[in-house]
Amino acid sequence: MGTFIDYTVNGLVVGNIYALLAVGLALIFGVANLINFAHGSLYTVGAYIGWVCITQLHTPFWVTVPAVLIGSGGLGVAIERLALRPLHGTSRIAPLLATIGLSLVLDQVVQLVFTPNPRALPSPLPDWRFQVGGGSIGTLDLLILGVGIGSAALLFVFLRFTKLGWAVRATAQDIDAAKQMGVDTDRVNSTVFAIASALGGLSGMMVGMYYNSIDPGMSFDATLKGVVAQIIGGMGNVPGAIAGSLLLGLIESYGIALFGTSYRNLFAFVLLIGILILRPNGLFSAAKETPPEPMTGSFVARGKPIRIPMPGMVGIVAVAALLPLVAGDYVLQTGTNALLYGLLALSLTLVAGTVGMVSLGHAGLLAIGAYASSLLAIELHIPVIAAIGLAGLVTAVLGTALVFPAFRMRGHYVSIATLAIGQIVALVILNWNSLTRGPIGISGIPPLTIAGVPLYDAPQTYWFVLAVVTGLALLQARILSSHLGRTWRALRDDDVAARSHGVDVDRYKALAFAFGGFGAGIGGAVTAHLYSYINHETFNAQISVLALTIAILGGLGNISGALLGSALLVGLPEVFRGLAEYRMLIYGVVLLLLIRVRPQGLLGTV
Amino acid sequence: MSALLALDKVCSFYGPVQVHFDLSLHVNQGEIVCLLGGNASGKSTTMKTILGLMKPRTGSVTFDGKVISGLPTHRIIRAGIGSVPEARRLFGAMTVRENLLMGAFIRDDSAAVRSDLDRVLTLFPRLQERLAQRAGTLSGGEQQMVAMARAMMGRPRLICMDEPTMGLSPRFVDVVLELIATINREGTTIFMVEQNASLALQIAHRGYVLQTGRIALEGAARALAADPRIRDAYLGGEAA
Repeated sequence: MGTFIDYTVNGLVVGNIYALLAVGLALIFGVANLINFAHGSLYTVGAYIGWVCITQLHTPFWVTVPAVLIGSGGLGVAIERLALRPLHGTSRIAPLLATIGLSLVLDQVVQLVFTPNPRALPSPLPDWRFQVGGGSIGTLDLLILGVGIGSAALLFVFLRFTKLGWAVRATAQDIDAAKQMGVDTDRVNSTVFAIASALGGLSGMMVGMYYNSIDPGMSFDATLKGVVAQIIGGMGNVPGAIAGSLLLGLIESYGIALFGTSYRNLFAFVLLIGILILRPNGLFSAAKETPPEPMTGSFVARGKPIRIPMPGMVGIVAVAALLPLVAGDYVLQTGTNALLYGLLALSLTLVAGTVGMVSLGHAGLLAIGAYASSLLAIELHIPVIAAIGLAGLVTAVLGTALVFPAFRMRGHYVSIATLAIGQIVALVILNWNSLTRGPIGISGIPPLTIAGVPLYDAPQTYWFVLAVVTGLALLQARILSSHLGRTWRALRDDDVAARSHGVDVDRYKALAFAFGGFGAGIGGAVTAHLYSYINHETFNAQISVLALTIAILGGLGNISGALLGSALLVGLPEVFRGLAEYRMLIYGVVLLLLIRVRPQGLLGTV
Repeated sequence: MSALLALDKVCSFYGPVQVHFDLSLHVNQGEIVCLLGGNASGKSTTMKTILGLMKPRTGSVTFDGKVISGLPTHRIIRAGIGSVPEARRLFGAMTVRENLLMGAFIRDDSAAVRSDLDRVLTLFPRLQERLAQRAGTLSGGEQQMVAMARAMMGRPRLICMDEPTMGLSPRFVDVVLELIATINREGTTIFMVEQNASLALQIAHRGYVLQTGRIALEGAARALAADPRIRDAYLGGEAA
């Protein structure tokens, strides 16, 4: 009984922390129709402002809290004003990508300033504990519960009884109608970002105190949990976000009690997928249908693609093929790496660009391919080259099956669902000890071998990967110019119209994911045999984001663009090795600049 | 010129596509003026341009002698223009009462707002019993009434109505037209965009006919209703 109460208190405390995040996400989604992927970064910033105040400036608690609120709230306002407002009227995906770029930049800046090492964030409260029916509750628990309830009450009063609160609600329901009532919707946006970011920052500080540890990597998880809680409650639904957060906190807490810590996030993501499939409007809305997100067609920026003439293409491939004659091993390793990312980007550019399902979990496909090939080669002694091919097939089948539930979704929902699916893949790998060796990972993966001859030196490896990439790129180009490619683009531009012309949308999406999964799976498999060691973190969410950045840089749907983007984004930071530390910052800035200056990518969307 | 609202040589574009070609029109204080035209003639774009939801590339919109083109929408509303948007655009999750109070968003005189609410409800008695109901649950005709009442709550000098009879049952069409005439008699100038010319010309004082972004005809409502070109093109019910 005592432990049950402890787990309940823990669940409610964590739930309140999620609620402070989710409420902000819900407000922002309401008025700006945007999932703010930078939300977790503000949470991290809030935590670090708290750390500076408490451990460096030794401010009293009543100064620390306003400092956190003002610091993170102000940053939120600046983000809205400088990075998001200029994107009004552009494609629907632009603000979403901008928040991803912002999160990369903010996280890296925090890391550069405060180092990646965790910091202790001591609670300045007296450490009293109160006995409650066999369990106990501490002062910090009470503070967090109080702040959660207090913020909810304040927010309720604001939305119900103030003029600005009314404006927020009206804007959330219909921005154009709100404008026609005389509402300054820009001001509403600023207000909402200020409130959301301030609450997010406060949440970060309190979570830091709760675990007495903060680090720059905490934002991604925070964004995810906030988003999951918000979707449980219904996107844009503020009371729903609070209820969803508490539910998520309790489920996680009880889940940990029953199964152990490594399962924590698995519950969150499985719950997310379940909700997205069964009740996409959240637990508290009656409708089963997702609200129509009018983003088909306009979700991705359009632009005229730049066509590279055939001789040019042949020339580029020839130069790439002759590179080993002049370049050293280091350059070739970088080239191999860029080609492997190119393989991933080819797959993503097909799924996100040609079919219009912007996947944020594409690294999961790499992981499936890598594990499949490694295990086939090690456990079943299948020759490496055959294992790689089989891994491609396994990834095609598994990847398609995993993403299948997301086929009915559109726009933001696809991105969230694929993000969760990518995380689920990593978590299953972590927890399925008997198959994947769990957290230990797989070592001793046999090297690339063709006809019994291992490819140990860099030029051979490079040529092999170049051949694979060229082959798959040609195949993809061939498919894109066929009837199949046309159908894919049609259902991207208007899936309702495509459906009403007799296109079985699900089947065509499945074909795209199968082909994309095959390529990505081969990419993951080759990577595994090159690395000789992989674990559940080898193919993390950062790789998914990088793949998306590459695909956008080149131009969504554009095959040569994906390869060019990969050469630039993966190759160049290696060439300027001093920049390695700033890599994520560079990706973030590239993404932000692209969205502003050339949303259709370098070579244009197809 | 004493026109309350005037568009002067407005040219507007959707990207590279030009919608208006030197569009000029005016609405005098106290009038009901209707803008007629078929699909894609640029009617709704005219409304968006007046309300600042779109900016004209050249030309100007003046209200009460001041240039309003280029101002953000909320400033234009504050200048004294009310809007009944196309397809009504109520705040569906808010109650009827909250919708009406949103109409008074620009006002700070809460006592006067309350008495205006009563005044509006005597004009739209049907809404009295619906006050606590969510606006999204009302019928189309009732929603149109809420939209008109909401626009009145801001005490505008001019109300712009975009297709106020669209999608209503024939019985409600008459009710709505009668209400528009009543609102006008009480002193509010009306500028309405309509596809249904015969209906609009029943209550309007003057009218303009828009054809692919240009004014093709203009004049007194009676004269337009009798004009054979209008009869051929627009009268005889709904334009297909």
